[in-house]
Amino acid sequence: MAATSGKLELEAQAPYFRRGLPNKYKLFLMAFPFLVVTFLFFYLPIYGWIYAFYDYFPGIPLSKTPFVGFKWFRTIASNPIQTEEVLRVMKNTLAMSGLGIATSFFPVVFAILLTEVRTGWFRKIVQTLTTIPNFISWILVYSIAFTLLSVDNGLVNTLLVKLGIVDQGINFLASNSNVWGPMILWYWWKSLGWTAIIYLAAIAGIDQELYEAAEVDGASRFRKIWHITVPSLVPTFFVLLLLAIGNLVNNGIEQYFAFQNAMNKDTIEVLDLYVYNIAFSNNFPFATVVSMLKSIISVFLLFLANGLSKWVRGESIL
Amino acid sequence: MKFRTIAASLLAISLAGAMTACSGSGNGSGGGKNGASSGGKEPAAATATASGSGSPETSASGLDRSKELKLTVFSTTANYAGEQTGWFAKIIKDKFNIKLNIIASNLDGGDNKIAAMMASGDMGDIIVFGDDKGNYPNAIKAGLLLDWTKDGLLDKYGQDIVKSFPKAIEKAKISFGGGSAVYGIGNNVATNQPGPSEGKDMTWGPDLRWDLYQKIGAPPIDSIEDYLPVLKKMQELEPTNEQGKKTYAFSLWSDWDGNYKLTLAKQFANMYGYDEIVDTAVYVKADEPKYYDFLSDESWYMKSLKLYFDANQMGLVDPDSLSQKFDEVTAKYKDGRLLFSWFPWLGAANYNTPERTAQGKGFALVPFKGEKVWSTGFNQYGGNGILSIGAKAKDPERIMEFINWFYTPEGAMISAGGGTSIPNGPKGLLWDIGSDGKPYVTDLGWQAYQDQKGTQMPQEYGGGSFDNGMNKINFSFVVPSLTNPETGEPYDHNLWETSLKRNPTKLDSDWREKMGALTAKEYFVKNDMVAVAPQGFTGKEPLQMDQALLQKNKQIGTVIQQYSWKMVFAKNEAEYEKLKAEMLKKVKGLGYDEVMAFSVKKAEELFEARKSVSP
Repeated sequence: MAATSGKLELEAQAPYFRRGLPNKYKLFLMAFPFLVVTFLFFYLPIYGWIYAFYDYFPGIPLSKTPFVGFKWFRTIASNPIQTEEVLRVMKNTLAMSGLGIATSFFPVVFAILLTEVRTGWFRKIVQTLTTIPNFISWILVYSIAFTLLSVDNGLVNTLLVKLGIVDQGINFLASNSNVWGPMILWYWWKSLGWTAIIYLAAIAGIDQELYEAAEVDGASRFRKIWHITVPSLVPTFFVLLLLAIGNLVNNGIEQYFAFQNAMNKDTIEVLDLYVYNIAFSNNFPFATVVSMLKSIISVFLLFLANGLSKWVRGESIL
Repeated sequence: MKFRTIAASLLAISLAGAMTACSGSGNGSGGGKNGASSGGKEPAAATATASGSGSPETSASGLDRSKELKLTVFSTTANYAGEQTGWFAKIIKDKFNIKLNIIASNLDGGDNKIAAMMASGDMGDIIVFGDDKGNYPNAIKAGLLLDWTKDGLLDKYGQDIVKSFPKAIEKAKISFGGGSAVYGIGNNVATNQPGPSEGKDMTWGPDLRWDLYQKIGAPPIDSIEDYLPVLKKMQELEPTNEQGKKTYAFSLWSDWDGNYKLTLAKQFANMYGYDEIVDTAVYVKADEPKYYDFLSDESWYMKSLKLYFDANQMGLVDPDSLSQKFDEVTAKYKDGRLLFSWFPWLGAANYNTPERTAQGKGFALVPFKGEKVWSTGFNQYGGNGILSIGAKAKDPERIMEFINWFYTPEGAMISAGGGTSIPNGPKGLLWDIGSDGKPYVTDLGWQAYQDQKGTQMPQEYGGGSFDNGMNKINFSFVVPSLTNPETGEPYDHNLWETSLKRNPTKLDSDWREKMGALTAKEYFVKNDMVAVAPQGFTGKEPLQMDQALLQKNKQIGTVIQQYSWKMVFAKNEAEYEKLKAEMLKKVKGLGYDEVMAFSVKKAEELFEARKSVSP
């Protein structure tokens, strides 16, 4: 017995003697290229933050550009009206992201319902139809919205007027009072099927024996969902939730850019769109300042959410 | 063993990937130095492809044209991207063996695209700037543009520019070239001629549906407010179009607003002889050193907002104005759903088809009493649009020679135009010179000018529709109404004697009879209703906002724009006044006074510039 194990040990050590390189270094070397890539594409760009401190114009090298220190940071709070603007924009940003997070269980529910559909062809059709909108650009989504909702000739208004429900068309697209709701609906219309894919994969990965055991115990369909499917999806859901919280201030601009007009601008202008509207075309330093602040806030939020997760669930992703 | 092979190859692949990434980023951050050396040292190999066609091997100036030259044109004004096709492509291919590939920031990225092109260190071979503020001076500072005086380029290959338009070169030198260098030339240049530089129509009308206006008895119009009751009656007369869709007087669109205003609220100011100085807070009079504050009560901008508000209360404004785009408005004009047009090139151009005008239907000028329509005078110094050659251009001699051609009578006769004025197109096909030496338009020519998209060009002239073949750079080299020294008539076919005398439609003859003039321009000039803005030049570098002020200005602009729309669509008078007060308070808080102070300086600069051309 001892002899055998000694022989095994020798055999295991043989490559070490032959190559002279412990496994941990080999593994490190294998990972090294990816570390380089990470450094190049995720850390090196931080060097670009330097533009926040210069009066930079594209094309003119930094060496010929005046250094202005924290001037562009101060403009954010330069006067009360400006501060009001920033607060308004932040309110929109948080509202949109908040709504997004509050409704982030939609794809979970959708995925569960979809897997419970027994008719194969029907399930496939539904899944395809809900995934396709993800590939339509927001500009096209807006033209769909315009065709449906325009006052003068839109499908919905024509229908409402013809049916005698209203006398005059309602201007859905140019109204300030209800922007957030429709925006989140459009968002889910576009991305529900796509987001559900990851949950569908997670459901497929659940051990079938659990369901079989539950069946033997006499569990109903709903019981099986509640006690097996949902708990199995929770880790995936939380990872995505944490990432979403980290991205709280990044709404992207396409959707809001396409749908904005003078009437709804007050409530639709999220941070990214605001920066685009006032800064990107001619003011790189200011845009850089805002993106710096965004990065810092995002990192802070991610750690906060992670800490909460650790405290509540005893699990964390970092 | 197998595992090790896989691991090793994976490692190799990822390392290679990382290294390419390295060298790639090195290229970019190095300000395109690598790109420059490779592009500069071997231009023949990198850019020119041998051409087997029988194109002219050498030019009059002795340049070798045997290699096809493919030019990248970065145009901030173009509305078409890709290779130039059709009749214009054919002409320049035959004459210069040049092909154009157009990059249009309008279609892809807008201002961001311009910034990205500038940051990359290479803006292409030919560059068109929409105006001479900001990007153009910065591109010069960054060394992205070629100095045309270097190696005698301009004197050798740009002789017609130097000879015919010396003032434009002078301005380029003093304003942007430190007194000696030429980095670009302004658009719409002219020789010294008095009077308005427009074609047969002015830029503004206003035009009404002439047939309906006559039917309601052609009531006199004393001020812009008088249009509203007139339009209301016209709308009652024709509440729906042929397809049964509702008609409106005004259909506005917001996608041209840029960053300072509700574009369409500015137009009445122009009809009173005022125009804004772009991106500032003042309006200036065309022919007097007078200005007023954008947001003051006397401002035609503010009065126009009120006018649209009133119109909306009367049901004259298209409710989709806020959310639609320009294309939708054009379609509404085509369908006969609108009754008012600020511009002849909008209403008449889209609604007045030969069938409709034969019945006497169509848009035509209905001016108001006291109108003084803004006119741009002939500009010896060139306008604010700029055409430049890139610092890294492959074959500057041939490019210069090519640009020069647009300033010769031959080039201008074919291609003068741009924007809303239609170029004449190929000689011998669409127009020709008669035996009396006078130019005339052929039947195909009239068809092509009226139906630009639907008229096919013969294969030997490049094929495609007339519209496909128009010069898509969208830069007007010489002003089309300039007199051609070879024929003694303007380049613009609309102004040729043969064109004006051509058989008029029922609409034309009716209008001419009632108004006592052949064209809208003639009517305005005859009745002293034009305010010609002299196009001068201070002889100094233009004033520019610093970046902090630019930022404030931009913010103020977006506020004004947003509130303007809200005011037009306010529910009632009280809400209108409330929004107005809110807007004024907001812009004040954002630094309107500072912008105003700069704007006044800018106005003074303009008045000084005008002195250089006034007698």
